[in-house]
Amino acid sequence: MAKVKGKFWRESPRIRELAFILNRIRRSPPSIAGIAIVLFFTFIAIFAPVLAVPQPNRDPYIMPRYGFSPIPRPPSPEFPFGTTEGQYDLYYGIIWGARTAYRIGVLVVAVSMIIGIVIGSIAGYYKGVVDEVLMRITDIILAFPALILAMAFVVAFGRGLNSITFALILVWWPSYARLVRGEVLKVTAEDFVEAAKAVGCSDFRIMVRHVLPNTIFPLIIMASLDIGSVVLTAAALSFLGLGAPTGYADWGQIISLSRNWITGAPGNPFAYWHTYIIPGVFLFLFVMGWNLLGDALRDVFDPMIRRR
Amino acid sequence: MQPPILKEDEQLKIEDLLVRFYTYEGIVKAVEKAKLNLRLGETLGIVGETGSGKSVTALTIMALTPTPGRVEGGNIYFRLTSGEIVDVLKLKEVELLKIRGKEISMIFQEPNAALDPLYTVGDQIAEAILTHRLPEMLERVNRLKKKEAGSFLMRLPIFRGFFEKKLLNQVVREEIVQLLRLMEIPDPERVLDSYPHELSGGMQQRIVIAIALACSPALLLADEPTTNLDVTVQAQILDLIMRLKQRFGMSIIYITHDMGVIAEICDRVAVMYAGNVVEVAPVKEIFKNPLHPYTRALLESIPKPGSAFKSIPGTVPNLINPPSGCRFHPRCACVMKKCSVEVPQLKEVSKEHYVACFLHGDV
Amino acid sequence: MDNILVTVNLKKYFPIRGGLFGTKKGEVKAVDGVNMAIRKGETFGLVGESGCGKTTCGKTVIRLLKPDGGQIFFDPKGGLPENPGDNYRQFDIARLRGKQLKGLRRHMQIVYQNPSTSLNPRMLVKDLVAEPLIVHKICSGAEAEKRVLEIFEDVGLSSEHLRRYPHEFSGGQKQRIAVARALITNPEFVVLDEPTSSVDVSVRASLLQLFKELQRKMGLTYLFISHDLSVVQALCDRVAVMYLGKIVEVAESKELFNNPLHPYTQALFSAIPIPDPEIKRKRIILKGEPPSPAKPPLGCKFHPRCPKAMELCPTNEPSLKDTKRGHWVACHLY
Repeated sequence: MAKVKGKFWRESPRIRELAFILNRIRRSPPSIAGIAIVLFFTFIAIFAPVLAVPQPNRDPYIMPRYGFSPIPRPPSPEFPFGTTEGQYDLYYGIIWGARTAYRIGVLVVAVSMIIGIVIGSIAGYYKGVVDEVLMRITDIILAFPALILAMAFVVAFGRGLNSITFALILVWWPSYARLVRGEVLKVTAEDFVEAAKAVGCSDFRIMVRHVLPNTIFPLIIMASLDIGSVVLTAAALSFLGLGAPTGYADWGQIISLSRNWITGAPGNPFAYWHTYIIPGVFLFLFVMGWNLLGDALRDVFDPMIRRR
Repeated sequence: MQPPILKEDEQLKIEDLLVRFYTYEGIVKAVEKAKLNLRLGETLGIVGETGSGKSVTALTIMALTPTPGRVEGGNIYFRLTSGEIVDVLKLKEVELLKIRGKEISMIFQEPNAALDPLYTVGDQIAEAILTHRLPEMLERVNRLKKKEAGSFLMRLPIFRGFFEKKLLNQVVREEIVQLLRLMEIPDPERVLDSYPHELSGGMQQRIVIAIALACSPALLLADEPTTNLDVTVQAQILDLIMRLKQRFGMSIIYITHDMGVIAEICDRVAVMYAGNVVEVAPVKEIFKNPLHPYTRALLESIPKPGSAFKSIPGTVPNLINPPSGCRFHPRCACVMKKCSVEVPQLKEVSKEHYVACFLHGDV
Repeated sequence: MDNILVTVNLKKYFPIRGGLFGTKKGEVKAVDGVNMAIRKGETFGLVGESGCGKTTCGKTVIRLLKPDGGQIFFDPKGGLPENPGDNYRQFDIARLRGKQLKGLRRHMQIVYQNPSTSLNPRMLVKDLVAEPLIVHKICSGAEAEKRVLEIFEDVGLSSEHLRRYPHEFSGGQKQRIAVARALITNPEFVVLDEPTSSVDVSVRASLLQLFKELQRKMGLTYLFISHDLSVVQALCDRVAVMYLGKIVEVAESKELFNNPLHPYTQALFSAIPIPDPEIKRKRIILKGEPPSPAKPPLGCKFHPRCPKAMELCPTNEPSLKDTKRGHWVACHLY
């Protein structure tokens, strides 16, 4: 039955869907918090060049240094978040670190999703031997610990964000492949896929127009939950020194710089709190925001799917 | 002295039931001032299509209205086996737990959805028995214990608990086998230990009925239990239900859209449309002399060989914005001006025959 | 000589897999040697209970499934004899593949039982109905939309229904959308797989009326699969009764319902509840449960439950015999 909401709404079914989604999100405070946090970080990432002006003729991702003293300086009007060991501007690093986080997060998740979709849908649609072979490959890769793989890549290609990005993509796509395969198996059992075959659609058309659009929701949920995990893992790798080079605006790297200062000064254990607490809080908030958003999407999509 | 709420021979009385569903698209007025009576030992059929509110009404009788539904008014008076009369809608959850499964039971359309695939069929029947008939079973265990009081092992406290449990299992098992025999299930001992997926649809539905009748309820609610079954299996199950009714003496509310089934097993019939009860009459009367235009149209739409197909024009109304006045008026062949303005009430037109239509009854 | 579809000894088996490597442990003989001849322009009913193989038969006949044996002769112009021999080999579609199989789809279509699951919930209705046109490269874009509107008019929908998702429609309307999709390429042969079972009783009649009109207007031939005997009786010209993968009786609709010969057909008809409380039908209650198609009984498949079983029934399987004027039965009683 048509939703009675006025002529404009009636013309566009997709806008009606969007309105429904937004309405459901509006109803739950954690979801709103999640969206707010994610918007906040997106804003920072987009406006980084304005919020923390990069120095001319330099790679903007390298934090500017103001001296060479190893002792971090606490927050002051000149340095809102203080400086790290080696006098890197912490505020600059945090702001541009948001960009780095997005870069890694989105890149790893997007590429993993694409690989996972291709492999998962072929496995789920054709089943049989193809499915077995692809799933065994997936299983083997899933058994790789991300850490060891990252170290191997670093040894092979040198340290840097590119190496760990490759490593993470390689380790991450199997979970998407599995998810897509499960969903594809579920969807291909539905009548409308057989109906599409009866119409005469080619396998490719069925997969792209009929099967995949019906498997998207769980994928979106997983992707949004994963961005947080990827960033966290990348930060851990950078902390260990495998990822971003010293001085790069990456949250993990910044925390790595605080390694020697966690214990603080004699008599004052929190003397250098700003070197690890501030980047830690930002990292935590970023991951939390995406997790909340993922949860919100799961709540929105699940009953909607069931309802429809 | 106040007149009794339920007459001597009445089992159930629904008065002015109002159920609304609060959804994103709006408030669905699912059941609007429904009125129904059920006599002791009677089989009442409820006929209706999608959106008529028949399933919601049945679930509400057990206070199991599905969310986001809310009961917003009305009373459901029910006579317990003890003779006491309660208003189901005013009971607390604790008291309702004693009624569901024991005084009122329900069987549904899909038997394999009603059975838990992880437990054997015997376990599921045992669950019903142990929930409501535990004292009775323990009583039997005691009697058995007395017979074997001489056993040495029994004296040891460590073994006593284990022994009692074994005896309880034995007693319940015997009871279940009895029940399965009543359901005309061949080889009950083997079936007891089967899982639901190992049984056919007809057998599964018999198990569901067994669970429903395990505690001899006063009222059995059946929501289209044979719709998904083959015609020959349906015939067997309908036969079974009729025979069980004779034996247990319970009242049945049978919901269906199949007029053939109604003609077979029901004593009285209530017709529901878009949340209202539009006609109630004894079964012979409703086929011979249907008064409400909807009932007439429903009977005429049954395909007959040789004649043209007659359907009801229009579609079931959107219950978020139901038509004003009589909810059937946009599709009615005999619509009058009054129909879109006032809501017709159920009135007794002839003996036992009630209609909610301005064409009939003292207006 | 005016048949549009003839099957000869059609077989469709499903393997039962089990064990460590999914080895084949047995077979479900869903369709086990079915001979049918459907005349052009008629409505041929196929009835039976669950597990008898009627849906599998319907899907195999339009090559949605690949048969495991037998031949399927299909001539859209309707020129096949009842017993096609070698010279009709080019009409055998049982082993078609690839492009030829795809070309077949324009001529044979199917309408499913449950329109809620047979329509892609994420596609707009206009795309769903236009898809066959695009897939078979008949037309696209604005031309396709025009065709969709034309077929919408035929099935009783309108232009305002174009840009909606399937879930926004009622059951009856959804089924009309499914019918529109099936008919947009002007097929000659349509399988209707229990098309009214998921729909309300009051809407059923309007759908049946629609089927009748479309048949007249477009010259369609229907294979109508159903377990609802009252509908079959009202709509079909000839009816075949299936039991456990085999056809046990075929006759003109009126003849079959007035004079069922096979004991199973008799029991089946006696089990239908009649919407008239005055009539008390004499029930033939079959003993036992419908057997599993994986382990069918030997000899006549119905003999364990047959009230009239004779000595030779467990050993000899009866074949379809013509008793008189087109009433065929597979039973030793005749």
